[in-house]
Amino acid sequence: MNVPNEHLLILAGLLFSIGVGGFFLRRNLIVVLMSIELMLNAANLTFIAGSRMHSTPGEVNLHGPMFALFVIMVAAVEASVGLALVIALYRRKQTVSLDSLNELGD
Amino acid sequence: MENALFYLMALGAVIGSLGVISAKNPIVSVLSLLGTFFCLAVIYLLAGFQFLAAAQILVYAGAIMVLFLFVIMLLNLGGEQAPWLSSETLRARRAPLAILVSIGFTVLTFVGILRHDEVQAANAGLGEADTIDGLARLLFGSYLLPFEAASVLLLAAAVAVIVLAKREREPRLGGKG
Repeated sequence: MNVPNEHLLILAGLLFSIGVGGFFLRRNLIVVLMSIELMLNAANLTFIAGSRMHSTPGEVNLHGPMFALFVIMVAAVEASVGLALVIALYRRKQTVSLDSLNELGD
Repeated sequence: MENALFYLMALGAVIGSLGVISAKNPIVSVLSLLGTFFCLAVIYLLAGFQFLAAAQILVYAGAIMVLFLFVIMLLNLGGEQAPWLSSETLRARRAPLAILVSIGFTVLTFVGILRHDEVQAANAGLGEADTIDGLARLLFGSYLLPFEAASVLLLAAAVAVIVLAKREREPRLGGKG
C-alpha cells in the first residue's frame, strides 16, 4: 500500500471528529462509551501513520504499533469499567441516560 | 489495487462511525462500530501490521463489542426494534442466510487451497516485513515495564468491575439498592 500518510491522518481526524460529535450529541451512556472507543481507534490510526512516517525501507518502525497495542489494552479496561458503571447506574435509576445524572447539579 | 482497497475501507469506516452516532437503536450502533473496526483492521493489514490487525479483531471485535452487546441485552435497552432486526424477519431469512454464508465459506476455502501459489504471492506483497518478531522483542525488551504495568491495570480493572457490577445484598437507605 503506497497511500500517502496524509490520507491516513485525514481518516484518523475524521473518525476522531465523528467520535467527539457523538460524545457530545448522544445522551445514551452506552453510545457515549462507543464514541470514546471510536476516538481511541482514531488515535491508533494516527500511531500507525506515524510509524509509517518514520519507517525506512530497510526497517519498519514498530513503536507506533506497540503504542497502539497498549491503547487497545486501555480501551478494553475502559470499556469494562464503563459498562460496569452503566450496570450499577441502571440498578439504581432504571435508566442509562446521561440527563438523569444531575444530583450534583441542583 | 491495494490503494483502492484502502479508500474503500476508509469510506466504510467513516460510514460505520456515522452510523454509530446516528442510530436510534444501540444494537445498530454496536453493529456499525463492529464494521468500522473490521475496516480499520484491514487498513492495519494493508499497512503491514499483521499482529495489530489480529489484535484489533480479537480484542475489539471479539471481546469489547461482545461486552457491549451483553450489557445492552442484559439491561434490555434494545428499544423499539428495527424491522430488519425483529425475530420474525430473521426467522424467515435464516435458511437462505445460512446457506449463503456456508457456500461463501466453502468457495473461499476451496479457492485458497486450489490457488495457494497466488495466495502466497499476494501475502508476500501485502506486508513489507513480518512484524510479530520485532514486536515481541520490543515488548519484552524496552517496553517490559509498561507491559507489567498493563497486567496490574487489567487486574485492578477486573476487581473493580466485579465490585461495581455485583448486586448489593441489602438495599441502602434512600436508594433502590
